[in-house]
Amino acid sequence: MQCMGKSDHETIKAVLAGDKEAYGALVMRHSHSLFRVAFRITGNEFEAEDVVQEAFLRGYQKLESFESRSKFGTWIYRIAVRCALDRIGGHKADDSSRVAEEADPAQEQVRVADEAAGPDRLLLSGEIGALRDLALRSLTATERAAFVLRHMEDCTSEEIGAALGIPPNAAKQAVFRAVRKLRSRLAPLRATR
Amino acid sequence: MKHLTEEELIEQYYSKGAAGFGRHLEACTECAEAYAALQRDLEEMKFAAPPVRIPGYGAKVWQAIAPSLPAYETRKRSWLGIGLWRGLSYAACALLVVGAFFAGRLWEQREPRTTANSSPPPAQEHAAPPQQRIVVVVLSDHLDRSERLLVELKHADAGSEEMVSPLRDEARSLLVANRICQQNAAKIDDPALVTALNHLDHLLDGLANQPGGVNSATIARLQEEMNADGLLFQVRVLRSRIPEQEAGARSKEGKI
Repeated sequence: MQCMGKSDHETIKAVLAGDKEAYGALVMRHSHSLFRVAFRITGNEFEAEDVVQEAFLRGYQKLESFESRSKFGTWIYRIAVRCALDRIGGHKADDSSRVAEEADPAQEQVRVADEAAGPDRLLLSGEIGALRDLALRSLTATERAAFVLRHMEDCTSEEIGAALGIPPNAAKQAVFRAVRKLRSRLAPLRATR
Repeated sequence: MKHLTEEELIEQYYSKGAAGFGRHLEACTECAEAYAALQRDLEEMKFAAPPVRIPGYGAKVWQAIAPSLPAYETRKRSWLGIGLWRGLSYAACALLVVGAFFAGRLWEQREPRTTANSSPPPAQEHAAPPQQRIVVVVLSDHLDRSERLLVELKHADAGSEEMVSPLRDEARSLLVANRICQQNAAKIDDPALVTALNHLDHLLDGLANQPGGVNSATIARLQEEMNADGLLFQVRVLRSRIPEQEAGARSKEGKI
């Protein structure tokens, strides 16, 4: 592919001039980072793959509105975050009831205490990881995405706000709420340490 | 001394000290302890790492989406011409309406009312243009319903009769609409649409007409087929094209 050595902006010019194949270079360059954030937000490998494809598809359709003073990587990353947010927001009704049922802190405490009594520490470690993931899934879509972007992707409140389409202060509040909920839900785990 | 709130402590943690509460934390033991607890909790919050992608993952993504993307040159030309064509199509529409009105008046005066049964109604001559738009609207609705069914199937719990039964009923209803859409797709020569509708037909048929009813093995097989074909993605791509097709159908109506 000829555009592999070109910058993102040069490649975009080529795409807009009719070289559709040039877009492939952008896809190859940014797929991994998009998959990473999509997986962290959706928590599901197949959903994340769908999100990556959808983000590049939407990106291509909106490429004419891309402003050359910003970075393509940041722009497509934001699109992927929105796609992932749409995805988990769509399934929220189903997930929330299930998670609410499973994530009762009292039940968790009992379950963890029982497992801790067993001999296999690796099993316990796996269980703790699963409980952390479950706690993350119990957050609202916005809280979860904001927390992932802050905690794992090291984004600022401004960057989170831009990615989620909300003001920076609202992004900051979403992170606060997420941390508070996660600490509360994971508090029973501290008893096992 | 006023203590720091949890929000301020969280801000201090994520800004790596830039939030400016460092001095307070040095002076206040209570806040320092709360901050240390927060720090410990957040540092232990490690979640499942993203699965490693194969080195050619980007190429795989590109192969999956490339057939759905039209080249920009042709699209650009149509965008450039859209203003002119829109104006012309409005003018043509207005002419058509005025022309039809006077033609109707003339025809009414010339033809006696008794012969009306023997000749086709004049409205039929003008039925062709809106038909294309209706087809697009029907297709849009069909793809919308199909996407919802596919999403439900993707997350279906095969053991639940309550979940499987509505899926089967919806599949039966969609199967008929899908065959009509297939016939139209064949007429307009749209290979992407034909392929997706063929896949959809196969899946709906499996869901609607499975001998002996739908069981967990059937659901699992259909979910596997759906994922292998990338059917949900194909349907989403086709849905994303609908606004353009609607615009195309409208402009054709205007031209006629």
